[in-house]
Amino acid sequence: DDSERKRRRKSRWGDEDSKVFLPGMPTALPPNLTPAEQELFIIQLRLEEVNRKLRTGEVVPPEHERSPSPPPIYDRDGSRLNSREKRYRLKLEDERQKLVDEVTRRDPSYRPPMDYRKPTKYKE
Amino acid sequence: ASLMSSNGLGGGPGEATRVLQLLNMVSEEELQDDEEYEDICEDVKEECRKYAPVISIKVPRPSKEHRVPGVGKIFVEFETAEGCAAAARALGGRKFASRTVVVSYYSEAKYTDAVLE
Repeated sequence: DDSERKRRRKSRWGDEDSKVFLPGMPTALPPNLTPAEQELFIIQLRLEEVNRKLRTGEVVPPEHERSPSPPPIYDRDGSRLNSREKRYRLKLEDERQKLVDEVTRRDPSYRPPMDYRKPTKYKE
Repeated sequence: ASLMSSNGLGGGPGEATRVLQLLNMVSEEELQDDEEYEDICEDVKEECRKYAPVISIKVPRPSKEHRVPGVGKIFVEFETAEGCAAAARALGGRKFASRTVVVSYYSEAKYTDAVLE
């Protein structure tokens, strides 16, 4: 029930003394930006976060932020195709794709990061 | 870096209003789920109250029928501008479910008129 859920769940907020610093990306924005300017900045910030996770390999969130694991799927050799690491990496790559598309739509002069390749259409 | 120089993002937070915008906090997917939506609102209210008295919060939710402005942004109305500034200092750069929180003061008039963008 409701009260039980409240007791069990943990706040999404991170620690008070462990603030994040992303070079060149302020965490307090001036109030005079248009919604479009502000949104473009936030998309780029999120893109930077996602790229950083994929680059460092820190793709799996802490336990209390994870959703229940799906049943395992194995390939012919018996190695797991949908391991936690693989599932979260795919999720982040998918999000990165959407973010890159969104920035490109809003800012045609934008060039994606060096380590990013646009997925090519699958050929038989 | 081009974004910074072109529109002056380095200009600082400006003068405090009583309304704080919290950005880069939630995905559309999370907002669609009723239980997660409630949890998110609760987490934000609880944390903001630690720094200053809160009057109200508004969290736009996506709709299937039409595009809702301000989806993904969270708006918190404080009793005073000083309280809002204290919360802004405390919350900017904090983590919220593995995202980095960005803050910005928001127009009190727009908030009162339910213009959330």
